[in-house]
Amino acid sequence: MRVSLFDYGAGNLHSLAKALEAGGAGVTITTSWDEALDQDALVLPGVGSFGAAVRSLGESRNRIRESLEAGYPCLGICLGMQLLFESSEEGEGEGIGLISGSVRRLRSRIVPQMGWNDVKLTSDPVFSGLEGLVAYYANSFVCEPQDPGQVIATTKYEAESFAAGVRKRRTWGVQFHPEKSSAPGLRLIKNFLGEVS
Amino acid sequence: MLRPRIIVCLDVDHGRVVKGVKFKGLRDVGDPVELARRYEAEGADEIVFLDVSASAEGRGTLLATVQRTAEVLFIPLTVGGGVREVTDMGDLLRAGADKVSMNSSAVARPGLITEGAELFGSQCIVASIDAAREGDSWRAYTHGGRTPTDLDSVEWARRCAELGAGEILLTSMDRDGVRTGYDLELTHQVADSVAVPVIASGGAGGADHIREAFNKGQASAALLAGILHDGLTTVGAIKKELAQEGVEIR
Repeated sequence: MRVSLFDYGAGNLHSLAKALEAGGAGVTITTSWDEALDQDALVLPGVGSFGAAVRSLGESRNRIRESLEAGYPCLGICLGMQLLFESSEEGEGEGIGLISGSVRRLRSRIVPQMGWNDVKLTSDPVFSGLEGLVAYYANSFVCEPQDPGQVIATTKYEAESFAAGVRKRRTWGVQFHPEKSSAPGLRLIKNFLGEVS
Repeated sequence: MLRPRIIVCLDVDHGRVVKGVKFKGLRDVGDPVELARRYEAEGADEIVFLDVSASAEGRGTLLATVQRTAEVLFIPLTVGGGVREVTDMGDLLRAGADKVSMNSSAVARPGLITEGAELFGSQCIVASIDAAREGDSWRAYTHGGRTPTDLDSVEWARRCAELGAGEILLTSMDRDGVRTGYDLELTHQVADSVAVPVIASGGAGGADHIREAFNKGQASAALLAGILHDGLTTVGAIKKELAQEGVEIR
C-alpha cells in the first residue's frame, strides 16, 4: 500500500518514513494535498507548530475534512493529531475540524512534557498487542475533544489527564510519537497499516 | 507517570564517536550509527550527538551521519555543536534530528533560542550549559569549556527557558568524566529555577548516581557517556538496578 506523509516544511520526517516502510508501506513525502489525498492513506506528522501547519492546509481544509469524513484513512501524530481539531491555543487559524474540540496548553509545572509515559488503552485494533504501552511524548499542548466517545487512550502527566489517542471513522490521532517509541511504536504503525489496507 | 530518562551521549568528530576526560584528550570509541542502534536495543531512552568537529568538512560529515542514524533509530535524537543560525537548526532537523542543542551561539546571541522555538517549537530546542563551580555558584562556559562567560549558570538557565528553550542540558565541567556522581547541588538549583525539563550531565559512575540525580537533583533525565563507551556497565544493567531500587524507569 502507498501512504502519503504530508510535509508542513519543518522537521524530521526520516524516522517516520522509515517506520512506515518497516510496516510494509511505500511512502510519498509531499507538500501537495492533491497527492496526499490520492494514495491509500494519509499520515500527518508531528513536527512543527500549529500555526505553520494550518497555513499549509490553505484552501484545501474543507476537502481534507470531507475526505476523512468519507473514510479516507489517516493517522495524525502529535501536532498531526492536534491538526484534526478545530483550533489551538498554540497558533491562529482553523484546523481540519474533523474532530469537534480544541487544543490547549498543558497546565502542569514542567512544560513541555518530554519523555516516556504510560498510555492507558482501549481495545481499539491499532493498539493490538500493546498492553502496558509506554510511549515517547514531546508536547506542550493537548487535545480536548467534545465527544468523550472519540477518546481511545489517555495519559496522566503531573496532575492532569489528557487524550493520548482519538479516533473518528478511519482516522486515528495519537499525542505521543510512535516513530520515536522504539519497538512498541513500530508495532502501532504496523497495526494502523494493517487496519486500513 | 512520566518516567525519568536515561540519555546516552556520543561525542562525534568527523563521523566517529570520541570521548574525552574533563573536556580534553579525545579518543575514538566507534561508529555513531552502530552505537546509537546498540544503545536503543539496550534500552536507552534517547541519544545525543555532540559534534566536536572544528572544521567545515566535519560539519558536512555530521549531516550525513545524522541522516544515516535517523533512518535506523526509533528513539529521539538530539544533535548539538556548531549550531550558529536557524538555518543550521533546520538543516539538522531536516537531516533527521528531533531536537537541536546550542551553547556558545546562544550565549553570543540569546535571540537565537527564541527564533528556533518560534520556527520549530520549543520541544526541539535544547539549551546546553557547561557549568564550573566557583565558590557558591557556577560560571557558564562556552566553546567546549574553553571560554569563561560572565553568566551565572542558574540565572542563564532561567533566561534560556524564558527565551523558549524546551529543555536544559546541564553539564558539570568539574564532574565530566570523573565518575564521582553528578553535581546534585547545581542540578537541583537549576531544576528548581526553571519550568522545563533538566538533563543532568557530567559525573555518572553508576546507577546510584543516576538515582540521586532524579531524587535529590530533581533532574528529568540523566546523561551517560564514558561508563558505557568503556564497557564498565550497560544501559540494561543500570535500568535493572534502578528498577530494583524502586525508580520507575521505562
